[in-house]
Amino acid sequence: MGGHFRLLLQVAFRNLFTSKINLLIGGIIFLGTLLVVVGGALLDSMDSAMSRSIIGSVAGHIQVYSDDSKDELGLFGNMGGEPDLAAVDDFSRIKPVLEKHPNVKTVVPMGTNGALITSGNTVDLTLARLRDLYKKRAEGGETPALRENIDSLKAHVRQMVAIMEEDLAKSRELLSDTARTPEERESLARARSEAFWDGFEQDPFSALEFLENRIAPQIPDGDMLYLRYAGTDLDRFQSTFDRMEVVDGQPVPHGQRGMLLSKFFYEEYLKLKTARRLDMIKQERELNKKTIAADPQLQRWVKENQTQTREIVFQLDPIKTRQVVERLQKVLGSQEPKLEKLLSSFLTTDDANFDTRYAQFYAELAPLLELYRLRLGDSLTITAFTRSGYVQSVNVKVYGTYQFKGLEKSALAGALNLMDLMSFRDLYGYLTVDKKAELVELQKQSGVKAVARENAEEALFGEESGNNLVADATPGLINDQESLRGAMDSLRRDDLTKRVYSQAEIEQGVVLSSAIILKDPEKLQQTMAELRQSAKDAGLKLRVVSWQQAAGLLGQFVMMAKLVLYAAVFIIFIVVLVIINNAMMMATLQRVREVGTMRAIGAQRSFVLGMVLVETLLLGLVFGAGGALVGSGIMAALGHVGIPAGNEALYFFFSGPRLYPSLSAGNLIAAFIIVMVVSAISTLYPAFLATRVSPLQAMQTDE
Amino acid sequence: MTLKNLLSAAVLTVALLSAPAALALEPAEMVKLLATIDDRQRNGGDYKALIYLEQKEKDKTDAVREAFVYRRDADDKLMILFSRPKTEAGKGYLRLDKNLWSYDPNVGKWERRTERERIAGTDSRRADFDESRLAEEYEPSFEGEGKLGKYTANMLTLKAKQGVDVAYPVIKLWVDKESTNVLKREEYALSGRKMRTLLYPRWKKLFSESKGADVWFPEEIRIYDEVEKANSTVILIKSIDLRSLEANLFTKAWLESKSR
Repeated sequence: MGGHFRLLLQVAFRNLFTSKINLLIGGIIFLGTLLVVVGGALLDSMDSAMSRSIIGSVAGHIQVYSDDSKDELGLFGNMGGEPDLAAVDDFSRIKPVLEKHPNVKTVVPMGTNGALITSGNTVDLTLARLRDLYKKRAEGGETPALRENIDSLKAHVRQMVAIMEEDLAKSRELLSDTARTPEERESLARARSEAFWDGFEQDPFSALEFLENRIAPQIPDGDMLYLRYAGTDLDRFQSTFDRMEVVDGQPVPHGQRGMLLSKFFYEEYLKLKTARRLDMIKQERELNKKTIAADPQLQRWVKENQTQTREIVFQLDPIKTRQVVERLQKVLGSQEPKLEKLLSSFLTTDDANFDTRYAQFYAELAPLLELYRLRLGDSLTITAFTRSGYVQSVNVKVYGTYQFKGLEKSALAGALNLMDLMSFRDLYGYLTVDKKAELVELQKQSGVKAVARENAEEALFGEESGNNLVADATPGLINDQESLRGAMDSLRRDDLTKRVYSQAEIEQGVVLSSAIILKDPEKLQQTMAELRQSAKDAGLKLRVVSWQQAAGLLGQFVMMAKLVLYAAVFIIFIVVLVIINNAMMMATLQRVREVGTMRAIGAQRSFVLGMVLVETLLLGLVFGAGGALVGSGIMAALGHVGIPAGNEALYFFFSGPRLYPSLSAGNLIAAFIIVMVVSAISTLYPAFLATRVSPLQAMQTDE
Repeated sequence: MTLKNLLSAAVLTVALLSAPAALALEPAEMVKLLATIDDRQRNGGDYKALIYLEQKEKDKTDAVREAFVYRRDADDKLMILFSRPKTEAGKGYLRLDKNLWSYDPNVGKWERRTERERIAGTDSRRADFDESRLAEEYEPSFEGEGKLGKYTANMLTLKAKQGVDVAYPVIKLWVDKESTNVLKREEYALSGRKMRTLLYPRWKKLFSESKGADVWFPEEIRIYDEVEKANSTVILIKSIDLRSLEANLFTKAWLESKSR
């Protein structure tokens, strides 16, 4: 038997390189293995890159939240908005229970929510700043610096009014006189008059109210912004999630209130629109290799930059306007005195001048402009409808911007801003026992009876209602001063922004969920089951989910992406299989004559079958190994230099601007086995056919 | 048929035919009716009320508040200043010209809001607290007569006049025939969708020195949200005080000073 096999091996080796057809098949096996190795490794790398992005950004390996929740947790948002979660009343109660598990490394408290942010228009905002300055003057007296600020802002407002009047004149030409009511025109004329500004200082607050109520509403309202935020223990968050990095500004100081805006959100929604469009054009040109000449989207941005110069014009006070005009005249070599026209021609960009203009914009104009509607270090006023039904506003200082590495281009992840847990709780509006008691007392005093809508009319107006439609009121004297004074005392609060909270204060209170980082992520399922059990034992109603479930829309997106990738690799496998199979069939059928001859000189069927099989396996072994080797080489090289993400969509799959794929032994072995098995199977049938051929038939076949 | 019979038949026919016509209100009468409703609630001078506001929403505890409402009807000025619970104290709304400003002392910011603003997040709107301006803002048409419990009401449909900014462009009004008080009010969006239903079961009157006549006010307003069906609001006007108010009350500075 051994001698038999040795003979077969000898034959196989001899045939390995002598037969042309074998070389061809070898080549196919080589390529097939290469494809399977590279495809499989790339798929695994992308899979783990995407998972890492989510685990390392907010989700952790496991998320825990209240089992009373109506919706499922969606850290990156769900279809149809913010999920409806029940609160975990006290994080400090669940933390020890979770941390007790030997596989749990860290537990991070969090909660996500959203709020609409409204801001007035540019005139509103400028007037609000001026009002603040006058208030400061009324409280602390006038200083030269304050005077200078007030005068500069006043000049700015005057300039705005002048621009508005120019617009009015223009719209009169276009739309006859219908655009503005007589009162509006009259107010505008008054705000333009010398008399108004001469008398401004005598009663600045009245003058401001006139501008606020009559002038500011004449230009369109400011934007409304939807702000999504995650409240968390920021210190612990930063040390736990390795994908999070501060981009501009600084982290929120230890234990203090504050926010980090997502870099994506900050750029997309708070940047001066002209600058944002320039950035977008630059990105499209560089990253996605588009040109202004060919791409309609880029052309639209250029057009918008040319026409929508109002945001810049309105922003500048008279001194800065003059500076901008001078700089633009120099850059453009023009004598044009009107800022609007200069801006429009400066922003008329094409593929030839774009890079220069972009650089000039940031070098010459940007220093004179407010590039962002909110500067880092300023406070953002967030107003939320709380769970208790009250509207709550909080000023939160924005310390900087951050991003999640690998998710920097993702609009879903980029929508999430980070906030301290104290501000989050204020906006969430959890009712303490004291507050609840106060409300119950108020309600009791009112004596209001609940009337269901279904029978409201009958209950209020019906014969049985006993209602008296008309009655005389007792003349009452309302002492509002007295009742307000008592109530307002509670408003004298300490300065919240400077207060440093202790770890205990941060942890004792409401959270919506907690992220858990594991020591050994391989034991995810087991740990989840054990955590469920220990929560149950401790009497806590908690839901324990994996990061993929917790990530909401983004989690579903990863799942989809994985399915697509696996489908792609599966198709590659099938194609490889079919090609190898065909080649083998052809090769074996080619050898019908040879087989016939061998059978005629006494070769057994089993010998022939063995011969063909051994030959194929050897072929697979040698060329498969070659393919696997070259494949590993390619992966090693790619792992070293990285694959650049050629367009924005790939950023997500690659978890960053470059993917550094790695090859595991598993990938290699899997590829190897697949190729060998496919080769063997696809040889078996033709080989079997060949042995069925009688020597006579075989010799009669044409060459 | 005798002449007498014929005549009486004719009289009867005329009487029958003209009966509905006699019940229907002429446009001029309707405008007068609205003007009466408006005028009865207006005080010539100032007006101050202590109100209670209760909001019910699905799966939430009731949100309750007390507030002071100040009006200076002569200049169309309005201020709502919340006093209780403590966390709400100092928050307020101020209507100046056509601007509705909202103020929150926690953040020290003024924001301009629209007519559709849900006052303090409830189902009430600015107009529910303000002087009634139906005749000025709407064109009425007559819809017939109807029963509402034990009361008989004239039903009117009001459409907002061109260029007037109101929260809802179409209103259906049930006005008690006997007392000329509004009993029920339905409000519709431009699309025809019903948005709110308001019921006014109790009206009170108080003699005003400055007006030289009675000032009427609804002691209780029940508001049912027709979009979010589980939501409803109750407004109680607990007492009113018609003495004149501080001259500079309707300014941003005054409201700010309350929380400083």
